[in-house]
Amino acid sequence: MFKLVTFRRFTAVLGGVVAAVLVAVVVFFVIYAWPAIRLNGWHFFTSNTWNLGNLYANPIERNGRMILPGAHYGILFLIAGTLLSTLIAVVLAVPIGAMAAVFLAECVPSQLRTAVSFFVELLAAIPSVVFGLWGYVVVIPFLGHHVYPWMTAHLGFLPFLSGAPGSGYGLLTAGLVLALMIVPLITATVRDALVSQYRGLRDAALALGATRFETLWTVQLPATRRVLVGSGILATGRALGETMAVLMISGNALNYLPRNIYSPISTMASFIVSQLDSALQDPTGLAVRSLGEVALALLLIAVVVNGAARLLLYYQDRTTGTTS
Amino acid sequence: MPDLDFRAAVTRARPAAQPAAEPAEAVATREVNFYYGSRQVLFDITLTAPEREILALIGPSGCGKSTFLRTLNRMNDTIPNTRLTGVVRVEGEDIYAPGADPIALRRRVGLIFQRSNPFPFSIRDNVAYGLKVNGLAKRKADRDAAVERSLQLAGLWDEVKDRLDTPAHALSGGQQQRLCIARALAIEPRILLMDEPASALDPIATSRIEELALELKTRYTIIIVTHNLQQAARISDRTAFFLSGRLVETAPTQQLFTNPGRKETEDYLTGRFG
Ligand SMILES: Nc1ncnc2c1ncn2[C@@H]1O[C@H](COP(=O)(O)OP(=O)(O)OP(=O)(O)O)[C@@H](O)[C@H]1O
Ligand SMILES: [Mg+2]
Repeated sequence: MFKLVTFRRFTAVLGGVVAAVLVAVVVFFVIYAWPAIRLNGWHFFTSNTWNLGNLYANPIERNGRMILPGAHYGILFLIAGTLLSTLIAVVLAVPIGAMAAVFLAECVPSQLRTAVSFFVELLAAIPSVVFGLWGYVVVIPFLGHHVYPWMTAHLGFLPFLSGAPGSGYGLLTAGLVLALMIVPLITATVRDALVSQYRGLRDAALALGATRFETLWTVQLPATRRVLVGSGILATGRALGETMAVLMISGNALNYLPRNIYSPISTMASFIVSQLDSALQDPTGLAVRSLGEVALALLLIAVVVNGAARLLLYYQDRTTGTTS
Repeated sequence: MPDLDFRAAVTRARPAAQPAAEPAEAVATREVNFYYGSRQVLFDITLTAPEREILALIGPSGCGKSTFLRTLNRMNDTIPNTRLTGVVRVEGEDIYAPGADPIALRRRVGLIFQRSNPFPFSIRDNVAYGLKVNGLAKRKADRDAAVERSLQLAGLWDEVKDRLDTPAHALSGGQQQRLCIARALAIEPRILLMDEPASALDPIATSRIEELALELKTRYTIIIVTHNLQQAARISDRTAFFLSGRLVETAPTQQLFTNPGRKETEDYLTGRFG
C-alpha cells in the first residue's frame, strides 16, 4: 500500500512538472512577444508582408514603441505554407502508412516481419536534416525536371495543378518529403495495434461471410481508429514543427501566397530559423519579438489541431464504443 | 435482389425431401482428419447432424471439439499450416470440393464463438454487419427490420431497442453474447454452430441462451459444444462424445446419458476424468 502511495505521488509530481514546463514556455513566449503582439494586432495573421523596415534609419515611435521605419510584420503566407504542406503530408501519409501497416501485419510472414519492421523503424529514426539534404540533391531535381512538367502538361485541368511547375522547390515537394518522414511513424504504431488486436474480431467478420479484404477494411482497421488518429496527431505535430528539411526544399518564399501546388512556400518553423539572423540586426528588438509571436502562433496551431482531432474521436466514441 | 437468388441457390442445393421418419442430414462428415502443422488433432471423425435438431459435442478440454466445429464452416482455413482430409457435406454439398466457396458457405453456417466478440460498433451496426458485407437487405427499412427481427429472436430486443445506436461494448457479458447470436442470425444461416456460448455466463443468462437454442431449433440445425453436461442433457437431441481427437460414440442424448455404449463415455459422464 505504502509503495503504491509513493508511486502515485511520484507520478503526480512528474506529471505536474511536465504540465508546469508547458505552461512556463507559453507564459514566457506571451511575455516576451507581448510588445510585438500589441503592435502587430490582428494584422499579424491577416497581412501578407513581413518587412523588417530600414535597418539603417533611426527608429521612429509608433503607439509608444520605437520601431524601424517601414517595419511591418504579417505572416499569412507562413500560416498558409505551414498548414498546406502539413495537410499534403498528412493526407498522403495516413493512408499510405495504414496500408503499409496492413501489409506488414497481414502479408509479411511473421519470421520476416521483425526484419521488415526493423527497417521501418529505422526510417523513422533518420534525422530530418538527412531527409532535407536528400530532398535537395535527389528529389528536387527529379521532381523539377521530370514530374512537375509532366503534371502541368497532363493534369493541368485540375485546380492548383496548373501553372508554372517551378524548378522543384515548393509546396508539393515539402509535402512529399514530410509525408515520407511521418509514414514510418504511422506504420509502426498501426502495425503494432493490428498485430496485438484481439483475433476474435477478425474471426467474427470472417465467420459472417466477409472476405479477407472486407474484414481488414470494415473491422480491423476501424478498430484501430484511436491508434490511427493518435499517430496522425503525432505525425501532424511533427510535420507542423519540421524545420531543417523544409528549410532546404520549400523554396523559402517571402510574402508570397502559394498560387498552385508547385509554388515556393515557407513554414513558420523554418522561417524562424532562416530569419533569426537578420532579425537580430533590428536595434529595437521588435523583429525577434515578432519571431517569438510566430513561435507562439505555431504552438497555438499545434494545440488547436490536436484538440480538434481529440474532440472528433470523442464524438465518434460516443456512438461506436471504445477499443484499444 | 441478390438475397433471393442466394436463397434459391440454397434451396436448390438441399437434397430432395426425405421421408418424415428419417430427417435429412444438415451436416455429415466422413473420416475427417485434421492437422495443425504435422500434429494431428482429429482422427477419422464420421458424424452426422440431422436437420432441425440440436447436436451436442462433449468431451474433455483439448479433445478437438472447437477444431471440429471450425471444420464445418471452413474457419480452420484461416489458420496457416493446417490440413484436412476426408469429406464434409453441408446440406449434401461437399464443402471442401475444389471450387467450393468458403465465403458463401459461412453465410449458411453461422458460428457463435466461445468468447463473445462484438465489433467496436453500435448495437445496430453489429447486427447489420453480415447483411452489409453480404449485400443483403440493401434498403434501410429492410435492414432495420432484419435487425429488429434478429434481436427479437436472440431475446435482446426489449433490452436494447431504445439504444440501438450506442456502443455494443457497453452491454453486459450475457447481452454481448446474445448480440453475437443476433448478429449471426441476421443473415439467416441454416445451420448454427455454437462453441460453448454460455461458458462465461451466469445461470440466468445461461438458461436464456438455452431457451433460445430450443426456440431456434424449430428453424435451424444447431451444433453446440458444451462443457456443461446438464446443459447437453437439457437441450440436445443427440450427443457426440469426443476424446483425444476421436469420436468415441454418438447417440440420442437420452440414451447416451442413461445407457452409454462405451466405457470411456461412462467414465467421462461419471466424472472419472476430464
Ligand atoms: N491454432 C492452433 N494451432 C495449433 N494447435 C491448435 C490450435 N488450436 C487448437 N490446437 C490444438 O488442437 C487440439 C484441440 O483443440 P480444440 O481447441 O479443438 O479443443 P477443444 O476440445 O475445443 O478444447 P476446449 O474444451 O478447451 O475448448 C488441442 O491440443 C490444441 O492445443
Ligand atoms: Mg474449444
